[in-house]
Amino acid sequence: MSDATPRNVHRSSWVPGLAILFWLATCLPVMAAPLDEPLKPLPPIPQLDPATVELGRQLFNETQLSVNNTKSCASCHDLQTGGVDNQPFSLGFDGKPVALNTPTVFNASLNFKQFWNARVDTLEAQVEQVVTSPLEMGNDWKTVIRTLSALPYYQATFQQVYPDGITPATVQNALATYERTLLTPNSRFDQYLQGNTDILTLEEKYGYQRFKEYGCIACHQGANIGGNMYQKFGVMDDYFKARGNPTEADLGRYLLTKDEEDRNVFKVPSLRNVAVTAPYFHDASAKTLEEAVDVMFKYQLGRIPSAEDKTLIVLFLKTLTGEWAGKPL
Amino acid sequence: MKLSRRATQLMLSAMTLILASILVFLYLKSSSEQTTYSESRDLIREIKQLNSQWDSEVLKARIALTHNYDPLVAPLKEINDLWAQLERRESQNTHEDPARWQSSQDAYRQAIQEKARLVERFKSHNAVLRNSLAFLPTAEDDIQAQFLALTDGDKLLQQSIATDTYDVLLSSLEFAQVTSDDKAADILVGLNKLAINKLSLPESFQVPVDILSKHISLILREQPVVNDLLERIAAVPLAERLDDLTNQLNQDQAAADLLDQKYHRYLLVFSTLLVALLLYLAIRLLRSFAEINRVNRALHVVNENLEQRVEERTRELKDAQGELMDSARQAGMAEIATNVLHNVGNVLNSVNISAELVTRKLRTSKALGLGKAMQLINEHRRDLGTFLTENEKGKLLPDYLNQLVEAIATEQQGLTEELAQLSKSVDHIKDIVSTQQSYAGASTLLEPVHISALMEDALRMNSGALSRHHVTVVKHYHDVPEIMADKHRLLLILVNLISNAKYAMSNLTDRTRQMTLTVLPLNDGTLQISVKDEGEGIPAENMTRIFTHGFTTRKEGHGFGLHSCALAALEMKGRLTAHSDGPGKGALFTLLIPLDPVRT
Repeated sequence: MSDATPRNVHRSSWVPGLAILFWLATCLPVMAAPLDEPLKPLPPIPQLDPATVELGRQLFNETQLSVNNTKSCASCHDLQTGGVDNQPFSLGFDGKPVALNTPTVFNASLNFKQFWNARVDTLEAQVEQVVTSPLEMGNDWKTVIRTLSALPYYQATFQQVYPDGITPATVQNALATYERTLLTPNSRFDQYLQGNTDILTLEEKYGYQRFKEYGCIACHQGANIGGNMYQKFGVMDDYFKARGNPTEADLGRYLLTKDEEDRNVFKVPSLRNVAVTAPYFHDASAKTLEEAVDVMFKYQLGRIPSAEDKTLIVLFLKTLTGEWAGKPL
Repeated sequence: MKLSRRATQLMLSAMTLILASILVFLYLKSSSEQTTYSESRDLIREIKQLNSQWDSEVLKARIALTHNYDPLVAPLKEINDLWAQLERRESQNTHEDPARWQSSQDAYRQAIQEKARLVERFKSHNAVLRNSLAFLPTAEDDIQAQFLALTDGDKLLQQSIATDTYDVLLSSLEFAQVTSDDKAADILVGLNKLAINKLSLPESFQVPVDILSKHISLILREQPVVNDLLERIAAVPLAERLDDLTNQLNQDQAAADLLDQKYHRYLLVFSTLLVALLLYLAIRLLRSFAEINRVNRALHVVNENLEQRVEERTRELKDAQGELMDSARQAGMAEIATNVLHNVGNVLNSVNISAELVTRKLRTSKALGLGKAMQLINEHRRDLGTFLTENEKGKLLPDYLNQLVEAIATEQQGLTEELAQLSKSVDHIKDIVSTQQSYAGASTLLEPVHISALMEDALRMNSGALSRHHVTVVKHYHDVPEIMADKHRLLLILVNLISNAKYAMSNLTDRTRQMTLTVLPLNDGTLQISVKDEGEGIPAENMTRIFTHGFTTRKEGHGFGLHSCALAALEMKGRLTAHSDGPGKGALFTLLIPLDPVRT
């Protein structure tokens, strides 16, 4: 009897430890630590003023932003089809095709700069250029402000949201605010990065491994899997010579800087939702993911992958498709 | 006096306001923008930190520690945000040397732009360089694998080619570490060897060797570029520019501190002055308190003296009033005497007339005719009968005598009447004189008085003047028992009131001059005697003054009359009041005295 008490004490000290261990063991899959990878998970959707976001949404779908009431932002950036129109070149207000393939509006706020040649730093400036571009909406701000002011909805809503009412700056801000909410969370790969490693199939995991091994991640990395640096199109070989028909748009950042170093240099595009945003490249030259992967290997990586590796990589790329409004894109 | 006091108050408040605003101004000036400088410096410090972070991220990317380039983007964004904050903040601040501040800002902007440009380049070049470097061993392995796959041929040649390949690979890796022209030359030689060797190798070697060559030339091309970019990035004087800005802020702050100190000193001096002023004012206040106390004490003493003097004066005044009363009474008596003499004169006049009438009547008496008749009789004494019957004249004589008797009887009656009138007048004089005698020097003793008789006496004393001025006297005497009263004072008052009423109507021409005397016993044991005239009345402004000493509206008046009357009324425990509806509407003087019936 005399030694019963200490034994009890001993037991009671390791029983909770065991319980914690058990609890840890059961919770581990759920509580998995995020993986430390060159590719980063999508940041959470920012919580912005709902009234401003709604106003931005209305403007995003407003055809009166274009000079002849034919094109809204959504005309080319259709949210139902991956934030693009899947055309090689979208048609401007006058029905003529623009010079570059339309990049998706989804996750655009994560790009370090906007447009293929990264000529502006902010979404606001991007709006500004598209509205006034003679190839795209062909409008001018005076007309836009006049048109919007004539519509009671905008008249009232702008007064509510902005003390300044309808101005170029507030129109741009409303649109940019809306676009900042256009993130596509919950892609299978994001879930994988967040620790749910079971979400990917073995092939897809291999695909990711090949993606890293072959050096795709040299450019396509970070939270947006690209969109954070410039790169020359044709590092290992002259892509444009091989393609032929050089256009002005092929010059990339050279058009801005007139620096020989910037010839054919573009912003590296994001690979998020890449499976649903065909065709690919600024010139829309690749119709399928496979074609695009081929071009990348040949001209950017200077490597020859095995057919199997290529398939794996394409499989991996398809895991990057996220959700919008609760539905996969 | 009032205006000047208000002006003083205004001036005082203005002074206070000015002093207070100077104090506030100095206080605000002396506790100015210390926080702004430190906040701006904090912003610059944060930018510097981010810049260092950026640099370290660049180095991490350089040694391929990380493949994620987001950390190379984020710092620039944050730096630009902070810089925008700084610009907003500093655009409101003044700088000692605005031109220098501006140029430093421009230099910073240039530096950050340059650095951003270089970092972007670095990212692009570093990405492909790292990729190729990472790939080199694999590429070499691919070639070695081809060698291993060969079963026949010149093993020795193959060996040397393999060694060459390995050499160029090693050179490239070395080159990545120590980028020198020697190594570059080595690599170029190695690449040429590889190109030559390729020709003597089987077809299957072509592609791997080409790939290796391409990557090695990329390294050869990109490594110096990346190194150069790193050097240039390190050379961008961003930190120096920021330090320059910090220094300027420090200088500005030092200048501001100096200014602050100056204002502090001003504030100190000003506060001291204010305190001195307050002290001075306090002393002044204390002094004025002492002064006020002193004056108060003096005033107190003077006051006491004054009280004594007032008492003295009051006594003197009382004495004077007594004297005045006496003289008033004397004057009253003199007035009565005048009246009496006047009336006596009037009556004497009628006595005179009566005496003259009697004299004249006696002088023209018919008794003389009797003498003539007697003379005729005496002439005819002897033949009186004849004469009376025969003589013409004698025949007329008896008739004449008869007539004469009649005439003399009439004359006698007239004389008797005239003499009765005369004696009546004399009685009147006697009455007047005795009345005067009965009042002159009369004491205040109460005696039984018939009010109506007294009224009549008063009227009689004024009767001459009343008849001369054709004043009709209306009397409303109610039944009043004989009362105990000061006859003398009552008479004085009545005579005065009647005289005043008469005077008041002396200028009246448009209506009859009527005076109404009323005697009315009231229920509350008082007797009301009123004298009402239809004369010039009393203006409202004179109403309050008519009883005062020395007030008169008459040219020859001495103003004692009503005053002494009022006093007399008071002495009789009564009251004398006046009422008038206004100028031209007559006046009513009412005397109220205690009704004290004679006890039998």
